[in-house]
Amino acid sequence: MPPVLEVRDVSIRFGGLQALEGVDLDVGEWEIVGLIGPNGAGKTTFYNCITGIYPPDRGSVRYRGRDVSALPTHRRTALGMGRTWQNLGVVRTLSVLENVKTAQHAHISYGALSGLAGSPASLTEERRVRRNAEEILEFLGLLPLRGEIVGGLPYGTQKLCDLAMALATDPDILLLDEPSSGMAPEEAHRLGETLRFLRDSLDLTILMIEHHVPLVVGLCDYVYVLNFGRLLAKGEPQEIQRHPDVVSAYLGEVDDAAS
Amino acid sequence: MAAAAEALQRVEFRPSRSGWIARAAVMAAIALAIIAAPLLADDVRDQWIGYAAVYMVIGLSVNVITGHAGQISLGHQAFVGIGAFTSAYLVARSGISFFIALPVAGLTGAFMALVLGLVALRIRGLYLALVTLAFGQMTETTIFSIRGFTGGGAGADAPRPSLFAGHQAFAYLCLMVVAVFLLVDWRFVKSKAGRAIVSIRNDERVAASLGINVTAYKLFAFVLGGFIAGVGGSLFAHWNRSVATGSFGLSTALVWVLMTVVGGLGSRAGVLIGSAFFAVFQLVVGALAKGASFHWPIVGDVLVQTLSPLLGALLLLLTLTLFPGGIGQQLLPVRRWLAGGPVSTRGHHRAGAAATAAPGSEPGATAKPPHAAAGVPVPAARDEAPAEPAPTAGEPAVRVRRPRGGGRT
Repeated sequence: MPPVLEVRDVSIRFGGLQALEGVDLDVGEWEIVGLIGPNGAGKTTFYNCITGIYPPDRGSVRYRGRDVSALPTHRRTALGMGRTWQNLGVVRTLSVLENVKTAQHAHISYGALSGLAGSPASLTEERRVRRNAEEILEFLGLLPLRGEIVGGLPYGTQKLCDLAMALATDPDILLLDEPSSGMAPEEAHRLGETLRFLRDSLDLTILMIEHHVPLVVGLCDYVYVLNFGRLLAKGEPQEIQRHPDVVSAYLGEVDDAAS
Repeated sequence: MAAAAEALQRVEFRPSRSGWIARAAVMAAIALAIIAAPLLADDVRDQWIGYAAVYMVIGLSVNVITGHAGQISLGHQAFVGIGAFTSAYLVARSGISFFIALPVAGLTGAFMALVLGLVALRIRGLYLALVTLAFGQMTETTIFSIRGFTGGGAGADAPRPSLFAGHQAFAYLCLMVVAVFLLVDWRFVKSKAGRAIVSIRNDERVAASLGINVTAYKLFAFVLGGFIAGVGGSLFAHWNRSVATGSFGLSTALVWVLMTVVGGLGSRAGVLIGSAFFAVFQLVVGALAKGASFHWPIVGDVLVQTLSPLLGALLLLLTLTLFPGGIGQQLLPVRRWLAGGPVSTRGHHRAGAAATAAPGSEPGATAKPPHAAAGVPVPAARDEAPAEPAPTAGEPAVRVRRPRGGGRT
């Protein structure tokens, strides 16, 4: 069985900046894989290449053995590649419920014109979409807030709403972009439990960009480290923690005496 | 379960029985006033009502492209004009029924909008505004100058159908079209396409990552807006009984954008009121002044008709600085009340904030599925999760499924 996600030799250049250079990455079934690296290392750019928002100059992305490099973003999402956004993908002026309904787009069976005409089939489908959204919100404990406008909610709750939207795309692999940013350490710790719970109960595979080291070490099965657009190291979290290149990338050069 | 959830959402406010009766009475009164207005009005006023309804249709079309999709269109006269001339040509020259010409005019408007939409896929913001502006001007000087199609400077005849020949009957016809497009707009906002387009307006990359075909739905918004504009153009032509190129200049297109912005982008009621106001204001000023002009120092003669754009500019300034949501924003308390809410949300907001705080105040609580918190064991068998009634997520909305990836697209 091929890995869920198989990225080979992805490279992209923006003007004079080589943002990514020959990055390889694999994510296996039911794994939680971490992607770490200093700011500006190219992590979010890498996500944008995987999901098809940027066309990489070179390299390929295979999803469950299928080459999706040529597919547009929305088709990859429909196949089961869901993602969250570092700066949140919510529409701030809409309610929580509306946002989660929007995210189910790819799995709504009626056509746009049928929806305009208010055909009975579309109305039935809309009820199902609503129920589905409510189930997802209930699952994440957001149901009581479903009528609230997202922009008025606390940041952590908005992040959860963003996660609910990613789940509503019915993902098979979830690409999380800094899920713990803006959280206190103990919240980040609980986030780990939540993600593991999601993985187990929803049968997900997770790739996550994350800065919070204890979370990565405690949660991830495998870790990739990106630095200046290149893969610096990969391995089990404990190995990575001690990897001299990783330590120096994060903390600056360590002189010989110290190492 | 659904009922319980329903109860959760509407905790704070429930109108009393008399409250509901009052709301129903107000709604009925508004509906009745609109329905009865053409009956009570004299011939001149019926003309005004018809004109206002034509503007409402045009306002709704601007609302789709600029309000919902967030794409500025300064070339709207191209869509409206093509519909007007097509309809006039079909009815007057080809002897085709008005009721066939009306949707055909819509289709021509949709086609024009599709062409512009293809451009809008590539550029945005200021550049899009400039391109739409140029597009409108270009249409004016090319298609609208074809003498055989538009009748040149003299214009083309656009006779009304015999059943709706009178001003009163025609006003009703226009109001019916408004009603149809109001329904379409309502269903649009409440359905898949509308949500997709709002998401695209918010952020195209996020929309794509939610599985939305950004290209297709952007074009869809243009096509829908163009269709409504084309139908509006047809009504415009037949309201006037003739149509000439001079009616579709840039200044007119600007008024259409203005009335929609002042009405409130995205707000149906606001757009209707804004459109009707601008339509009637033009006519009233025109009728009062009968072409009289002020003699001002320096600027010389200023036609009273130019007051309309001037007022538009003033209202736009007021809108942008004081109430960016336009008339629609001002109507919000009324709408909320009619929908069964309280007039004031002040107490309501506090209740809402409390509801927010309850699950979220202990910050981690939100970031945790409730059953994980309660220590409910995670269903071990991945593929038969729903068998036992896990109390909260009986069947996870996000299905458990496999295999994946093959044959989906």
